[in-house]
Amino acid sequence: MMIDLVSRSNALGELKNFTFNFGPQHPAAHGVLRLVVEVEGETVVQIDPHIGLLHRATEKLMESKPFNHSIGYMDRLDYVSILPNEHVYVMAIEQLLGLKVPKRAQYIRVMFDEISRILNHLLVLGSTALDMGALTPWFYTFREREILMDCYEAVSGARMHANYYCPGGVLRDLPNRMAQFEESPWRFSSEIKDLNAPRSGSLLDYIQYFTDIFPARCDEYEALLTDNRIWKQRTVGISPIDADRALALGFTGPMLRSTGYMRDLRVDQPYAVYDALDFNIALGKTGDCYDRYLVRVAEMRESNRIIQQCVDWLRRHKGPVVSDHPKVVPPTRERSKMYMEEMIHQFKHFSEGYSVPEGETYAAVEHPKGEMGVYMVSDGANKPYRVKIRAAGFPHLQALNELCRGHMLSDVVVILASMDIVFGEIDR
Amino acid sequence: MMHKRQQALSVRLKSLCPDNRVDYLTNMPILYGEIDSLESIMQHLQTHDDLQMNMLLDLCVVDRLHYGVDEWVGVQGTSQGYDRARTPLDQQSLIQEKGRFEVVYHLLSTTHNHRARVKVSLNHASTLVPSMTGIWPNANWYEREAFDLFGIRFINHPDLRRILTDYGFVGYPMRKDFPLQGRVELRYDASLARCLYEPVTLENRVSTPKVIRRDDDRLSITE
Amino acid sequence: MRDLRQQIHDYKHSGTPIVRNGFVVMQYKQLVDWARGNSVWPLSFGLACCGVELMHFIASRYDFDRFGFALRASPRQADVMIVAGTLCNKMAPALRAVYDMMAEPKYVVSMGSCANGGGYYHYSYSVVRGCDRIVPVDLYIPGCPPNAEALMYGMIQLQNKIQGVKSFYMPDYTRELEQNDA
Repeated sequence: MMIDLVSRSNALGELKNFTFNFGPQHPAAHGVLRLVVEVEGETVVQIDPHIGLLHRATEKLMESKPFNHSIGYMDRLDYVSILPNEHVYVMAIEQLLGLKVPKRAQYIRVMFDEISRILNHLLVLGSTALDMGALTPWFYTFREREILMDCYEAVSGARMHANYYCPGGVLRDLPNRMAQFEESPWRFSSEIKDLNAPRSGSLLDYIQYFTDIFPARCDEYEALLTDNRIWKQRTVGISPIDADRALALGFTGPMLRSTGYMRDLRVDQPYAVYDALDFNIALGKTGDCYDRYLVRVAEMRESNRIIQQCVDWLRRHKGPVVSDHPKVVPPTRERSKMYMEEMIHQFKHFSEGYSVPEGETYAAVEHPKGEMGVYMVSDGANKPYRVKIRAAGFPHLQALNELCRGHMLSDVVVILASMDIVFGEIDR
Repeated sequence: MMHKRQQALSVRLKSLCPDNRVDYLTNMPILYGEIDSLESIMQHLQTHDDLQMNMLLDLCVVDRLHYGVDEWVGVQGTSQGYDRARTPLDQQSLIQEKGRFEVVYHLLSTTHNHRARVKVSLNHASTLVPSMTGIWPNANWYEREAFDLFGIRFINHPDLRRILTDYGFVGYPMRKDFPLQGRVELRYDASLARCLYEPVTLENRVSTPKVIRRDDDRLSITE
Repeated sequence: MRDLRQQIHDYKHSGTPIVRNGFVVMQYKQLVDWARGNSVWPLSFGLACCGVELMHFIASRYDFDRFGFALRASPRQADVMIVAGTLCNKMAPALRAVYDMMAEPKYVVSMGSCANGGGYYHYSYSVVRGCDRIVPVDLYIPGCPPNAEALMYGMIQLQNKIQGVKSFYMPDYTRELEQNDA
């Protein structure tokens, strides 16, 4: 009996923390993330995130291609909010070239940046709820995402990777008609009629339709989540952080604003036409997961207001959507067929590209996830010498260890989801 | 407004850091630091009341090996009648002089709402830089990334491991002399029942060569 | 264009044996393939951008449950792996491990140009130039990313493939019996 007790105490003395793998294939990892988690019982002691499982060497590939060929790589960085990525890249090129962008193009850019912000926040909202086991909000948010992806498709032809912005403006003007649902044996004709009703006008009419219905849709998500007891139990007080620590860790975007610190590039360093628009910035208080959620919902409502203002402006003002500089912007098809000079420009633009003067710049936009920046070095060639992408999610994920320490294992998933991680931009 | 604020910072930097050269380029003051005094100057930038650079936005490395060098060697081209894209070899001396690697820090002050760039040029063979993790904690992963992709080693870094590339990766892939398609490629071998690396069988196809045009007026766009 | 109601009416009165008699006679193999093809359970495994389109295929508008698909989080319960996105060198052993964990019969759908052959990232040092270097692929879906409709079409083709392929081996017992008799 005595011996038995001694051996038991020995066994207790040798208690060890349990270390295990989370991912890379995990439905709540938001892509490919491997976490080496050390737990004491159910409490997280330490997390070591292993990233790079989606390291595609974007920056190296960009160095090997002419400037315009790399806009597509920017799409594929943060593949949830696509057009702000392009915006920051073309802004860097424009700064190096000293290129002016027409007003209408800037409004179109702002409108699509805000559409992307809603797209991004809808996905975060839906998948955060999904990770906690609430399936319904996910179906609701993806219903609205489909509407916005149709807007992407209308301007660029692609549902996701639009490749729509180009140095000097945007590729083409907004279309006057939307794609229609066609009759099929699987749908009643009355149903088709209802589906096509908002699509009968131009793209701007369709976006107007979206902005009209969207506040009510936001209320639907909030009705499901904001006062939901389970939702609050899972998010309130989970990984709070104060503003000073958040700044030291390099947080930007909703992650920083949820702590109550006012920092938004759209206000602090207005680019494009944000200084001409009227909108508010949502701030949180404690910086916990619940505040991040509230900030994102409030941001969606504000984005909706910005889109409305852009639609109004774009309806009233016509004009060019791309700069007319012959060396950087290709000529129109008719002109390249009619004039020798334009044909040479066309040929040189698509074979060699354009050279960007020697220099370096750092451009930044308020991306849905935070500050996204591009540091571009050009040595005067037709390819960038070095492009460094400042991904907003990189410092956020870096702080995962600090944010999760002391929380329960099941909270790791919630914290990860609330940080809005996309591996395309983190691993690059 | 932004422009004025940045210019004011440039003037302030010149007076507050008299030992360092300060440039101003596309809305951004650039401070050239020295390796030996880097930590003290960064501390100064972070704590001084007029600067308060409280956030490290980005840390990156520029490899200047091929700076200003065309991909298209002009000799064969000219013998066949082409007269373009000559290699300006005089640019090569620049690398010898200034050293190959350059570490670039992007700093932001959220209180004053201004940003600055700090550049440190490494001596020719050296890859040692003091770590900034003591000043800005988020320098940790940025420095790991710089170590992983460029082989820059940071002194006093708490945990200098590879971060982005594969476990057991050999080489520093973002260096200019590392081939784009890599040196190895991965294949699953059914007989060994595991993934294994083999020498790469692919050649890089350059569809558009790098061309530098100094004689061209397209560089002077001022609208 | 005939109305759907009319079609349902036609179907109900078409004299299909299962409706008319209440039973159906078919080969066992056909039955198994039919059942297998109509309950394909993919693994929820998004690698990159294509994962978003995969989610759209699952979600409201395209609603993949109506084809008999159901997403499984565990590879041991899944029949088909959709390689949705760029497969990088660091990820490849994990992908193979997940594939090995899946129970037979298993299928792999390569979604998007990155998984098909590297695509936009073909010349990158860290990307596997096609996921067929790591796992055997049954179906390739082109696009960057393929939109949800293309994926839907591809998955229907996979169902057809499962239902058409002679996947179920039945030993010929009669010959064995004859041999025993002799």
